[in-house]
Amino acid sequence: MTLTNKIILFTFSIVIAACSTVSTERTNDTTAISASSSSVFSDQGIKSNNILYFEYDKADINSAGRAKIRNMAGIINKNDLSVRIEGHCDERGTREYNLALGEKRAKIVSELLVINGVSSSKITTVSYGEEKPASSGSNEKSWSKNRRALIKTF
Amino acid sequence: MNRFRYLLIFFFLISSHALHSQLRIEITEGIEDPIKIALVPIKWNIDLPQKHYFHEVMKQDLESFGEFNVLEPNGMLSLPYNEEEVFFRDWRLLGVDFLVIGEANRIEQSEEIVISYIIFDVIREKAIHRANIHGSIKSIRKISHNISDKIYSKVKGISGIFSTRLAYIDKPSSLDKNYNLRISDIDGFNDTILFSSSQPLMSPSWSPKGDRLAYVSFEEGTSRIFIQEIPTAKRRGLKLEIGINSSPNWSPRGDKLAAVLSRDGNPNIYLYDLKKNTWKQVTDHFGIDTEPDWSPNGKSLVFTSNRAGSPQIYEVNLRTNRIKRKTFEGSYNARPRYLPDGKNIAFVHRRNGVFHIAIQNLKSGKIQILTDTYLDESPTVSPNGNVIIYATKSSDKDVLAGITINGRTKFILPSLRGEAREPSWSPLQD
Repeated sequence: MTLTNKIILFTFSIVIAACSTVSTERTNDTTAISASSSSVFSDQGIKSNNILYFEYDKADINSAGRAKIRNMAGIINKNDLSVRIEGHCDERGTREYNLALGEKRAKIVSELLVINGVSSSKITTVSYGEEKPASSGSNEKSWSKNRRALIKTF
Repeated sequence: MNRFRYLLIFFFLISSHALHSQLRIEITEGIEDPIKIALVPIKWNIDLPQKHYFHEVMKQDLESFGEFNVLEPNGMLSLPYNEEEVFFRDWRLLGVDFLVIGEANRIEQSEEIVISYIIFDVIREKAIHRANIHGSIKSIRKISHNISDKIYSKVKGISGIFSTRLAYIDKPSSLDKNYNLRISDIDGFNDTILFSSSQPLMSPSWSPKGDRLAYVSFEEGTSRIFIQEIPTAKRRGLKLEIGINSSPNWSPRGDKLAAVLSRDGNPNIYLYDLKKNTWKQVTDHFGIDTEPDWSPNGKSLVFTSNRAGSPQIYEVNLRTNRIKRKTFEGSYNARPRYLPDGKNIAFVHRRNGVFHIAIQNLKSGKIQILTDTYLDESPTVSPNGNVIIYATKSSDKDVLAGITINGRTKFILPSLRGEAREPSWSPLQD
């Protein structure tokens, strides 16, 4: 091994040794990494997952969407299923406002299911705002995939 | 080939220093006439390895926001450590406006040191501050930040923020699959994780004493507000209400949280009494009311509402419950934060499809766009009202950036690990 290579290796090993003592990060023992499945909101036992998409800043559902929901209502009632609707947004705009917008989207789907005969006691809604995007990337292609409501039946 | 090898060595050496901190302030645009200050390396009458970075910490503090230019010691004509040795003419010749000298001694038979220092106004040829500061030899960084704060406040007339901290959230990355709620010193050091979760975390808010954080966690599959003590990491969740539980914001007296619940059908602002554990409704409108922030005197809240059709900012007097709209320019104004003077707000303003951070005077309505970055959000204001840190994107990655309130110094805080978002500036440390 040449001298220069030895120097590099030596320096590198000092740096690595220094780095391992540098971190002042303390991960507290009491910070639980929670299991993500709470009985009401986990995906366990999911029967189907339908997606409806929305326009920017809007919570409206077009006629194709309404037809889809009408269809789903029929299946839900026929099989006595439960349904959970998750509302999502793209990343533009402020996070907390998007949490509210996501809820609006989920609720509109819920209302349409109820209008189509599904009992509200079978429906849960939840909003994730912009926190759980389907696609990363700051462009319309990704954004359009994130403005959605997920309709999960159980 | 040889040159390349030396470059490699150089790179390893500097990168090892970089790994000491998580977020570092990197100025991207500074002002042309920073205040020139000389920090004479203090005389250490005690042998301490930490003394080597003491000067560096103060220099980095004062230069953080481009407001000061610290003279290099090798440019000094003399190295005084007591008043008698100061010849103002020497310092005027170097173009220096302010001078700091000092001395450090160990308190006998203890782990404590005392640093005596003097700040001089070179032009007026007088001392403007003398002090002795005590501290443990284990907290040299803390002592140097304290001195930086004092220098800053004596020279600029407002509090220094070098002893403050930043809470923020980083999202899963190839290095760490969790969302982490992190706290670090404002200079990026002592970065620690307060809470880790596989599910999203949002909206950290500091208690006025800086000893607790309230935040939103999705660990149970839906939004829920948690309060966590910083030294002990003990946490408790507020009772989960139907719908949204979010946007917690600590009152100036520390006795209440403003927050958002949609349990009555749509998101409204509520106040949570931390002693009585009860909710009190503040707004009652079929639209979206969210993102409340307390005025410094605790008498009103500003918040975001779409009651006029699209997000705008409103203010509510908590005694009379009168609500007044505050923003009238543009179709998206949201996420307001009062400046410490209580007379202005920083907020997110969309213009031509681009989200900027803007400032507006609450009385005159005069709006000023501060940032020219893209997809800006989550502004947090320094407790001295001088700097705003906010979240933005750079090459599709979440990064934190900042700007002084006069708009003249811009900086980024590149994170060496994941992507950082939702910054929240701590109150001043006592």
